[in-house]
Amino acid sequence: MRRATPERLAFSALLVACFAWLVAYPLYSHNQYWQNVLFFAFLFAVMASGWNIISGYAGYVSLGQSAFVGLGGYTTGIIATRAHISPWWTIPIAAAVAALVAALLGVVVMRTRGHSFVIITIAFLLILQLVALNWASLTGGSTGTTLPLTSYPREWQNTPFYYVMLGLVLLSVLMTWAIRRTKFGTGLIAIREDEDKAGAVGINTPVYKVLGFAASAVLVGAAGGVYAYYLTFIDPTGMFNILYSVFTVLAVLLGGRATVWGPILGGFLIELLREQTNVHFGASSLNLVIFGALMAAVVLFLPRGILPTAAAWFVGRRTRGVPGVAEGALDLRPGLALAARPEERPAESSILLAADGLVKRFGGLRAVDELSFYVREGTITGLIGPNGSGKTTAFNLIDGMMRADAGEVRFEGRRIDRLPPWERAHLGLGRTFQITRLFRQMTVLENVVAPLRSFSLAQLAAGAVAGHEVERAQELLDFVGMSRFAHAAAGTLSFGQQKLVELAQVLMLDPKVILLDEPAGGINPTLIERLVEKIRELNAMGRTFVIVEHNMPLVAELCDPVVVLARGKRIAAGSAHEIQRDPLVLDAYLGEGWTVDEAVTA
Amino acid sequence: MILALEEVVCGYGGGDVLQGLDLVVERGSITCIVGPNGAGKSTVLRAVSGILRPRLGRIQLEDTDITHARPHEVLSLGIVQVPQSNGIFPQMTVRENVLMGGYPLRRDRELLKRRYAEVSELFPIVRERGPERAGNLSGGQRRMIEFARSLMVNPKLVLLDEPSLGLDPKSLKAVFDNVALMNEAGKTILLVEQNVRIGLGAATHAVVMESGRVRLYGTSREILDHPEIAELYLGGHVARDAAPA
Amino acid sequence: MTGVIQTIVLGVLLGGVYALAASGLTLVFGVMNIINVAHGAMLILAAYLTFAIWTHTGLDPILAALITTPAMFGLGWLIYQLLIRRIRQAPASTSVLLTFAIALMIEGIIGLIWKGVFRAVTPGYFNDSVKVGSIYLPTARLYACVTAIAILVLLWLLLTRTWAGRAIRASSQNPQGAMLMGVDVASVAALTFAIGVATTGAGGSLISVLYPFFPASHYQWISRLLGIIVLGGMGNLTGAVVGALLMGVAENICAVYISVQWVTAVPYVVIFAVLLLRPRGLLGARTREDVAPA
Repeated sequence: MRRATPERLAFSALLVACFAWLVAYPLYSHNQYWQNVLFFAFLFAVMASGWNIISGYAGYVSLGQSAFVGLGGYTTGIIATRAHISPWWTIPIAAAVAALVAALLGVVVMRTRGHSFVIITIAFLLILQLVALNWASLTGGSTGTTLPLTSYPREWQNTPFYYVMLGLVLLSVLMTWAIRRTKFGTGLIAIREDEDKAGAVGINTPVYKVLGFAASAVLVGAAGGVYAYYLTFIDPTGMFNILYSVFTVLAVLLGGRATVWGPILGGFLIELLREQTNVHFGASSLNLVIFGALMAAVVLFLPRGILPTAAAWFVGRRTRGVPGVAEGALDLRPGLALAARPEERPAESSILLAADGLVKRFGGLRAVDELSFYVREGTITGLIGPNGSGKTTAFNLIDGMMRADAGEVRFEGRRIDRLPPWERAHLGLGRTFQITRLFRQMTVLENVVAPLRSFSLAQLAAGAVAGHEVERAQELLDFVGMSRFAHAAAGTLSFGQQKLVELAQVLMLDPKVILLDEPAGGINPTLIERLVEKIRELNAMGRTFVIVEHNMPLVAELCDPVVVLARGKRIAAGSAHEIQRDPLVLDAYLGEGWTVDEAVTA
Repeated sequence: MILALEEVVCGYGGGDVLQGLDLVVERGSITCIVGPNGAGKSTVLRAVSGILRPRLGRIQLEDTDITHARPHEVLSLGIVQVPQSNGIFPQMTVRENVLMGGYPLRRDRELLKRRYAEVSELFPIVRERGPERAGNLSGGQRRMIEFARSLMVNPKLVLLDEPSLGLDPKSLKAVFDNVALMNEAGKTILLVEQNVRIGLGAATHAVVMESGRVRLYGTSREILDHPEIAELYLGGHVARDAAPA
Repeated sequence: MTGVIQTIVLGVLLGGVYALAASGLTLVFGVMNIINVAHGAMLILAAYLTFAIWTHTGLDPILAALITTPAMFGLGWLIYQLLIRRIRQAPASTSVLLTFAIALMIEGIIGLIWKGVFRAVTPGYFNDSVKVGSIYLPTARLYACVTAIAILVLLWLLLTRTWAGRAIRASSQNPQGAMLMGVDVASVAALTFAIGVATTGAGGSLISVLYPFFPASHYQWISRLLGIIVLGGMGNLTGAVVGALLMGVAENICAVYISVQWVTAVPYVVIFAVLLLRPRGLLGARTREDVAPA
C-alpha cells in the first residue's frame, strides 16, 4: 500500500491545477497558436498513453503507434466524404476500427516477440501507408482527401477540437490508471517480465495480449478521427507518419514508462521540443539534426524517464543510510502452517497424471523418446536420470511449455496435451523451474499474488492485489521463510531465495500436482530439510508431487516411487531402495561404486 | 597464501552485498565457501574475477593488486572462473567452445593443440560430442564443457561457482574427482557450494559466510567439527554424513 | 521463358548488392542485439560520399568503395564510442530510438550538404550491358554484384578463420561467458559495430550506380534490409545472403509481372509472412530450448 507522502499530495495538487488551467485556457485566451500547440500535445499524450499500455506494461515495443492515428483519420475521412454523419458517430467508429485492427494484429503476431515485434510494427505502419497511397479510389491516393467542415459557429475556431482532444487525454489517463490497478494490468506486466512463465502460472496470455493491443489503440483511433477533422485534409505520409511513432516512444521514455502520468508529461514535452525546433530552424534539414540530437540526448541521459527519476530521488532522500535488504541471514523461525484445504482423498489411489509415448525432438536429437510413466494420486514421485536424459523436457511437455511431437499426457483421465499452459494450470498443475523464472521487476509479494486459478473476463477487472490474496501470499512467504523480503524486487534475490519464492508462487495456484524441477539445487542444507518437511506436510494434505532431483539422499528420503530416465526413455521404476540396486540404473546414472547412503535411508 | 581479500565492500547497486569481507586462500588448497542463501558467496567470486568492482577494500593475488583489474587482466594473471550457469556459446560447436577457453593463448598454436588434447582426455564428452552444437547439450553437459574450457589456460587459481548445481551423481563424482586432480596438479581452487556434504568433503579449507562477512574460517575438518556452526549453518546431520569416504 | 530468366538474373545481380548492404545490419544485430535503424541512412550517406568523390575527381564509383569503406569504418567506431557504448545494457526500445535518432541526424546532415534532391552516379558504363546467350547483364549491376560478393567472402573469412572473428561470435552468443574467456567484450563490440558500418561504405558506393537517391531514401532501404535479415534469420550472415538474393528476385518479379507501384510493399509482405510462418527465418538457429536462456 502506498502511503500519502507529502510529495504525493503535492504531485496530486499540481496535476489538478494543471488540468484546471488547461480547461480554462481557451476561455480567457484566443491565442490560436498556443491552442494549436496544446492540441498536438494532447494528441501525443493520447498516443503515448496508448503505447504505454502495450509497450510500457506488456513490454511489446512498437513503432507502429501512428498507424492507429492513420486508421482513425482515414476511417472518419472515408465515411465523412461519403455520408453525412455527425463526427459524434464517425469518431467512435474510428476508435472501434483502430481497436479492431489492433486486436487483429495482436492475434496475427501472437508468436512474435522482441526485436521481431519492433520490425513487424514498422512494416505494419508502412504497409498501411502504402495501401493508402496506392488504393486511390478509396483514399484519394497521394493527393489525399478533404473532409467536410464540421458544423459549429466559425467564431469558435478550433476550440471544440481542443476540448474533445483534452477529453481523450483524460480518458487515456483513467484507462491507464484502471488497468494498472486490475488483474489485467498485473497480467500484462507478467507478460513483459516472462511471457511463458505467465502462462505457466495460469495467466491466459493471448486474451490479455489481444485486449492489451485493443486498449492501446482505441483512444488513439478516436484521436486520429479528431485530428482528421481538425486538419480537414489528410494524406498518407501525414497520417501514417513514422516520425509520430518515434515521438510517441520518445514521449513515454522521457516521461517514464509504465507510469500513469509519464506518457502525458512526455507528450507535452515532445510537442514543446518539436515546436521550438520548428520555430527556430523551420522544417528544414537542420531541424532534423537538432531533433535527432535531442532525441539521442534524452535516450542517453534520461534513460528511466523524468517521473521515475524524480520518484527515486525523493525515495533516496528519505531512505539514505538505510541498508539494503540484499543480505542473507538464516531465518530459523518455524514456518506457519499452511491452511489445510479439505481434500477428498480416494480410498484407493488412482492415476492422477500419465505420460504415454511422449516424443520430443530438437533437430536430430530425441530429447524425449517414447517416454511413458504415471503418477498416482497422493504420491511423491521422483524423476531422476543423468544430465540430458529428458527430465526437464518431460516437465515442459506435461505443463505445456512445449508441445510433444507424439504421445499423450493425461490428467485425471483427461487428455491435456493439446491444452495451453494456463488451462493446465487451472486444472491443477503447477511447476517450478530448474533455473528460477520469477518476474524480476515485480516485488516478491506481487510475484506470489500473480498466479491465477481460473480465467474469466470479469477477472480482468478485478483488483490487482486483493486483501485475501495478500493474506494468503504472506502466509505462503512465511511458509518458505521469505516474508522479510516481501517488498524486495524479485530480481535482487539470490538464486536460492528465488527458488523459495517460486515455490510459494506455485503454491498460490493451489495445485493438485506440483512438478518441482531440482528444488534442492542451490539451497542450503537447513532449508532443504525444511523443504522436505513442507513437502511432506503438503503431501499429507493431499497434494501430489513429481520431483526432478539429483540429490539422491533427498530422493531416497522423500520419493516413492522413483522413475529413472536415460536418453529420453524410462529405464526403471520402483522404490528408491529397489532402483539403487538396479544394475541398469547404476550403470546409467549413479555410477560405479555407488553405495546407498545409510545415514539417510535408515 | 595465493589470494587475499581485505575489507572488501561490493554490491550490485541496490545496496552492498559484501560488507567488509576479509578472506584468505592458501596456496594449493581447495577452499570452499558455504553459508546461507544470499550471504554473498557468488559475489565474492565475481569480485575476484573482475566482473564486479569493489567499492572499497583490496584484492590481492600473490604480490599483485587486482582490486580494479578487468576480467581479461585477471584471467591473464592466472585466475579462471567457471560461472554458475549459462557460460557456454550455444551456436558454436563443443570443440570451438573448448578452444575459446584458450583465447588468451591464441598466438601459440602448438600449446593450444596440446592443451586441447589434454583437456579432451580429462573430459571424454569433449571428444565424443566435439562437432555438435553446444546449445544442444543439457544443463549438466554444458557444465562439463565449461569445466573443460576453463582448464585450457592452465590456471593457478580456479573459481568454481556451485559446481554441483544440476549435476547427476555420476557426473558430480567425475567433476569432483577432477577438482581433486587439478588440485594435485598444483592448482588452487576456490569454490562456492550449497551442497555442503560434497563441498566440504572435497575441500581442505572452509569459509562460512553470513550477511556479506566471513563468520568462520578454518580447515574443513575444523568447520565440520564445530558444533554450533554445524547446527546453525550446515544442517544438523551434515557433519556426520560428510566424513570423507 | 527468356523473359523469366532475364527477370531472375537481374534480381540475383541486385540481390548480391543487397546482401552486402544487409550483412552489416545482421552482424551488428547478432553480436550486439541491436537493430541499427541508422544502417539505411549510413548507406545513403556513403552513396552521397561516392557521388561527391565521383563529381570532384571522376574516380569510378565502384573503386570509390576503397575510400568510403574505411571512412564509414571510422564513423562507425566513432558513433559506437560516443553513443552506442552508453546503452549496451539498455532494453530494445532504447537502442531502436537511439539509432533512429542517428538516422535523423544523418538524414539532416545529408540534406544540409547535398540538398534534398535526387542524385545519381552515372559512370561511362552506366547504360552498357553484356549479352550472355539471350540474357542481358547490365554492366553496372554486374560489376557491383561481383564486388559485393568479393567483399562478403572477405567478411566471412574474417569471422570464421580469425580469433577476432571467433571473439565476435562468442560475444554475440554469450557476452559474460566471453568475458570470462578473456575476451575484451567492449572492444569486440566496438570492432563489430565499426565493421558493420564499414559494409555500408562499400554498399553505398555500389548502390549509387544502381539507384538514384535522396536524403529520405533511407526509410526505403532500412525496410528492405530488415525484410532481408528477417527472411534469412536475424543475426545469421549466410541467411542474409540467401534472403538478399530472394528479395532481389522477388522485387524484380513484382516490378515486371505485378506492378512497379507495389515493389516497395515486397519487403513488408516478406516481413509479415516470415515472422508469422517461420519466425526464426530461413536459416535461423534452433537449439535445445529446455535449458534456460542466457
